[in-house]
Parts: sequence; C-alpha cells; structure tokens
Amino acid sequence: MKSLDPRVNRLPQTDGANTTPKVPLDQFGTFEVFVQPKAGKPFQHEGIVHAPNLEMAYVLAKEAFTRRFTCVSIFVAETRNIHISVLTEGDDDAYNHVVESAPNGEKTSFEIFHLFKRGKQHQHMGAVEATNPNEALWVASKQLKTEKQVFNIWTIRTSDIRFTNQDDMDLWLTLPEKKFRDAASYKGGDKLKTFLEASKN
Amino acid sequence: MNQEAIKELLYKMADDQLILGHRNSEWTGFGPLLEEDIAFSSMAQDKVGHSLALYTMLNDLGEQDPDTIAFTRNADQFHNSIFTELPNAEYDFSLIRHFLYDTAEALRFEMLSHSSFEPLAQVATKVRGELRYHTMHANTWVKQLGAATEESISRLQQSLEYALPFALGIFELSPFEKELIADRIFEGEKALEEKWKKKVEDLIAQTQLQLPKWESISPQYGGRTGKHTEHLQPLLDEMSEVFKIDPTAEW
Repeated sequence: MKSLDPRVNRLPQTDGANTTPKVPLDQFGTFEVFVQPKAGKPFQHEGIVHAPNLEMAYVLAKEAFTRRFTCVSIFVAETRNIHISVLTEGDDDAYNHVVESAPNGEKTSFEIFHLFKRGKQHQHMGAVEATNPNEALWVASKQLKTEKQVFNIWTIRTSDIRFTNQDDMDLWLTLPEKKFRDAASYKGGDKLKTFLEASKN
Repeated sequence: MNQEAIKELLYKMADDQLILGHRNSEWTGFGPLLEEDIAFSSMAQDKVGHSLALYTMLNDLGEQDPDTIAFTRNADQFHNSIFTELPNAEYDFSLIRHFLYDTAEALRFEMLSHSSFEPLAQVATKVRGELRYHTMHANTWVKQLGAATEESISRLQQSLEYALPFALGIFELSPFEKELIADRIFEGEKALEEKWKKKVEDLIAQTQLQLPKWESISPQYGGRTGKHTEHLQPLLDEMSEVFKIDPTAEW
C-alpha cells in the first residue's frame, strides 16, 4: 500500500525532464513579535513571523515564539509600521540624535521601545501622545528617557498593534508545564552517564 | 457513578486525541510555511498530551497503564471516530478537519468542565487555554482561505464537503447516553452536536464557503465501536514501532 505519510508522498518528483523553471519567491510580509514573559515585566521584541495579515501574524507568532519557557501575553505589528531611530555605539545615546519635531495634525498614541544593550532585545517602555513618529521620539526623550543609556529607539502607533485580548490571557495557562519542549529537560547527559555506568558492570 | 459509562467516554475521547494528534504530527517538517509547521506540530503535541491525561484517568479507574493502552491495542480495539484516522492528503483537508474536529473538541471539553466526574472536570478546565488557541488558529485560517482566492475557496469547499459526513461521525451515540446525562457526567452527544453545528454555521457564514444542508449529509459512524477504515492499522503500526522494539526502554 502507498505510504500514508506525507513525508514520503511529498518528495519532489524526479521522473521526466531534468530541469524545471525556477519560480520566483512568493512570500508573505513580515511582522514583529513582542513577548511579555511574566506579569509586571515589560514586553520585549522576540522575533519576526511571515504572515498575510496582522491577525494571521498573531496566531502564528503565538507558537513560533511562545512554545517554551513562560509567557503571559504577546503583541504583533507589521514591520513597516515600526519607526526606528539611529543605532548608536560606545557611550553615544540614541536620544542625542533626536531633534525637536513639531506637531502636525491629530494627536494619537505611540508605544516606545528602548534597546539598552547592542545585540539584546528592545524593551517596551510605555506610550506617548504625538502627531507623528518623529514627534513621538521627541516626546519620549522628555517623558521616558532615564539615566540608562539607550542605543536604539523604536516607536509604533498603538493602533497598528494587535494586542492580546483579555479573553485570550489563558492561552499560555499550561505553558510552564511543557518542560518537555526544552531540550535541557531531557537530561541527555544524565542518561548517558547512567548508561555508561551500567555498561561497566 | 457509572464506571463503564465513564470509561467508554474517556476511551473515545483519548483515542480521538491520540490518533488525530499522531496524524497531524505527520505534517511536522512539511507544513505549508515554517510558522504554520511549528503551530500545527505544537497543537498535535497538545492533543497527544490530552490523550495521556485521559489514559492516566483510565489507569486510575483500573485500566492498564497509558503506554500499554496507547501502543498495544489493534485497530478494532480503538474507539476514535473514523474522521481522525483519515490520511492527511492535501493541507486543505487537514485544515478543514482541524477546524471541524477542534470546534467539537473545544465544546466537549467546555461542557465537561462542569462534569460531576471531578478528575475529568479538572483536566477540561486546565486545558481550556490550549483549546482556545486551537480554535482561534483553525477559525483564523478558515476565514482567511475561505475568502482569499478562487483556488483556496474551491479547495476548502471540496474538503469541507468530503469531511462533513465523517465529522458528523464524531457524535455517534454512546450506549451510555442516558447514564452519562442522568449522572451529570456529560450532557451527551446530541447536545454537543447541536452546539457544534451552530458554531460551524457561524464561522462558515463569515467565508465564501457553502455549507450543505445538514439533512443531506449521511454521518459515517462505526469508529466508536471499533469499525475502522484500512487507514488506522498502518498508523498504529508506525506509532508503536519504537515501543514494540523494547517496551521497557526509557526514552
């Protein structure tokens, strides 16, 4: 009987011509995923998912980035909706490069994220009211900047973010019990040690 | 409380979760996109986890240990609905099955969270977040593809029409319906089926898919009494391959 396993049935067919035309890439856009590991902790940037829209991005982000460890909430935003400041080095603070920006139009809410260490993740600092992303950074320099040096600042319109609804807070209820998804919990070293000791006798 | 009735309920639920969990895990590494591959695999793992919780409950009621129950029975000793054992074929079918089955699964566990059989009520309450994600995932995909392109709509439509008779087989009546309802263990397959039809209708109405009239569909029963298709035994053989080499091995 023909195998039922798609891993076998889906192997590329090699009979017939030697070559087939290379098809152009047909890919979805990218969305940025932010994770809150524990209640009271800030959301931090965790990575990127491909998706056809914001809602699908949310659904796919949940398993792509919160299969392990702990999580209480996530949010996602389309990459093109993230406005980023300059990236600085040494003791140069990214806010040194933020210039005063005048309001133009309706005020709206923007979420602000700080990068405190190069190579680490951006952390959510809070929200400011502004009329555009440039002004949002200027307002953030007055309201959210602390003593701690910042290497890069992101801002996202609050309305561009797909947040976790109150009803969906229990999505991560059983996550802390899923230790089996963490390679370390398999304790391969211990198993090997036991096996080697048993083989000596 | 009627132990035989509880056991019958637990076996069919656990077998459904195990068989579909295994079937869906066959997509691991072959999902239509990386993120979906991960999500679908995680949900398959959740289902196997639910089966373990239910087999453990059966073990507490005097049945054999979970591994023995899962890995040593033959196809005719399984109580899963035929729907769960059908081969995956194309992703559109797996997705429609995921939607139809998980809608029923989430409703069943929600009903059981009020069960008078306390261990079952506890497990049902505990996994509510997982099931919420499963239905959110299924609904989002079906809404997306059910209104996207001509191809996606016609593929889902065909799969839907193929799947519905088997989906109705989930609600095959148990010989213990009266006892389960009287003892307030479970409100019964009939009540579940009605709730499920309503949910399915609501979701399909948000797409360009057409739901056939319920009266026109002949449910495919038999799975609950061990009458399966030729697809179940090869699945069981593959699933238990490693276990049968050395049942005492720890891995």
